[in-house]
Amino acid sequence: MTVGINAFILVAGLLFAIGLLGVVLRKNTLIIYMSLELMLNAVNLALVAFSRYNGTMDGNLFVFFIITVAAAEVALGLAIIVALFRLRQTVMVDQLTSLSR
Amino acid sequence: MNELLIEFLSGFTATNEWAAILPEILLGVLALGLLGAEMALPRSQQTRWIPRLAVWGQVIVLVLAFTCAGCCSFDQREYFSGLIAQNDVTQLMRGFFLLSSLAVCYLGKVYFVRQSALPKTEFYALVLIISAAMMLLVQSAHFVMLFVALETVTVAFYVLVAYNRRSQFSLEAGLKYLILGALSSGILLFGIVLLYGIAGSPELVASSHDSLNYTQLMHFVIPNMDNLIVKIGALLVIAGVCFKIGAVPFQIWVPDVYQGAPTPVTAYLAVASKAAGFIVLIQLVSGPFFGLQDFLVPVLSVIAAATILFGNIAAVTQRNVKRLMGLSGIAHAGYLLLGVVALMRGVDWAVYAVIFYLFTYLLASFAVFGVMSLSAAADDAIQELDHYQNFARKHPFLGGVLACGLGSLAGIPPLGGFIGKLFLFVAAFQASLYGLLIIAVIGVVISIYYYFGWIRESYFSAPSTEVVNEAACPSTAGDRFLLGAFTVASVVVGLLPAALPIIR
Repeated sequence: MTVGINAFILVAGLLFAIGLLGVVLRKNTLIIYMSLELMLNAVNLALVAFSRYNGTMDGNLFVFFIITVAAAEVALGLAIIVALFRLRQTVMVDQLTSLSR
Repeated sequence: MNELLIEFLSGFTATNEWAAILPEILLGVLALGLLGAEMALPRSQQTRWIPRLAVWGQVIVLVLAFTCAGCCSFDQREYFSGLIAQNDVTQLMRGFFLLSSLAVCYLGKVYFVRQSALPKTEFYALVLIISAAMMLLVQSAHFVMLFVALETVTVAFYVLVAYNRRSQFSLEAGLKYLILGALSSGILLFGIVLLYGIAGSPELVASSHDSLNYTQLMHFVIPNMDNLIVKIGALLVIAGVCFKIGAVPFQIWVPDVYQGAPTPVTAYLAVASKAAGFIVLIQLVSGPFFGLQDFLVPVLSVIAAATILFGNIAAVTQRNVKRLMGLSGIAHAGYLLLGVVALMRGVDWAVYAVIFYLFTYLLASFAVFGVMSLSAAADDAIQELDHYQNFARKHPFLGGVLACGLGSLAGIPPLGGFIGKLFLFVAAFQASLYGLLIIAVIGVVISIYYYFGWIRESYFSAPSTEVVNEAACPSTAGDRFLLGAFTVASVVVGLLPAALPIIR
């Protein structure tokens, strides 16, 4: 038995939606960060599935670029979060409001 | 077997003409060279030589890019098996990005006079890398190339926005830009994946093996324009790009990030990052999404109208000048969207109107941001309108530059901004977008109110007996030359639009 393309796309879409909701609804910066990664991985899953079912290699190659970029983003993001925590002693977005007025 | 492989590879490498991207390579080498120079030079010499190396290196690259035969041809060409496409638009924009990174490096030098505790070399290196990546971004003709170049730009911008790590404003702006930038990249990527999957699907007509390529995708989209997944994919890609240009449903990051970022970085974001986003948008709507015009024109028209109104109305009550520049920048994005919509309605020269407007916006914005960098206090994020009371009396030259820059942004006749807006509005008129035109004109009238509020503050506020403190705002001969050049260029472009050889 093989799993159809629709199942992969459904899972990828669900993961993407969970990630998007996490970014929009959660207040902790670290969890927002994890949700962003979840969105990128949903994209990776869809790319690999499409690549397999369409019989082209571009999707598989694209995944490597996305993984690399995601790693760069995480490294930078954690550095910024740590620096901000040292100054403000908080990582909750609803307390980081010195700019919004 | 081996011969077959060699033949196969040589077919792919036949279009690898490295000379075509010589300016980008030179910029990358220059950026690495700066990091090397930091190690080689003694500490006392660094502050003197590294900014000079960055600025003069870019001048050399700029001269090379527009004189050497390999990279100044305006013909339509493709390189690297369709990853990169060059035409007159991309060549003009390469000059645009080099000019803006040159100005940003200069403003960075001014900024570091006040923030002397910060590391300096990395700033110039990152500005150069962003410039090279934006040049590649506008030339990309393939979604992988687009994504990699775009992420190089955004990841480097995360660092630059949060550059002042001793300031909570800068770090908070960096975090906000990081979260929303990564979110927009995710949305853009999901759109790309949907398009890749549907365009490669063998059951559909005109499906392609190279479905991430713009041209192949265009040939696929035209017969399949009623496909739901194609529409969703295109919408998600457009949404991701709209984040970068700060168009209305996705504009929440703009005021905060513009306020918190160091002033030269704000200028870079406002001018070059927005310009890159617009050129990408233009290439997408006239390339892969060409077949979806009936669907995208109403969407982009609504976004343009909302962007113009939101930017101008929110800027009216704003007292912080960096936020004011951010919000008015949203309004400028709205006027530029007007040009994009006109282009989609079949007015071909609208793309040149957009580029012309971007050039006038560059000249005016850097004049204003230059004055802001020179007059900023120790904390860069807190620059209120009240600080500009009697500004023109204390600093007649800077006051004049500020007035010219703001006048050009508002679109006052003898200045460049007026001609830029005129071209865009004529393009919209030819595309019979009368409703949008009325909204744009209302927007311009509102913008005159707040821009002139700033000019009034600097020229006509109640004269005070305060002692003129020249030391608080020193401007060297170089500063005066650069700001004077921007102002003169604004006036010249306004009087003689043909001085910019863009609309032919």
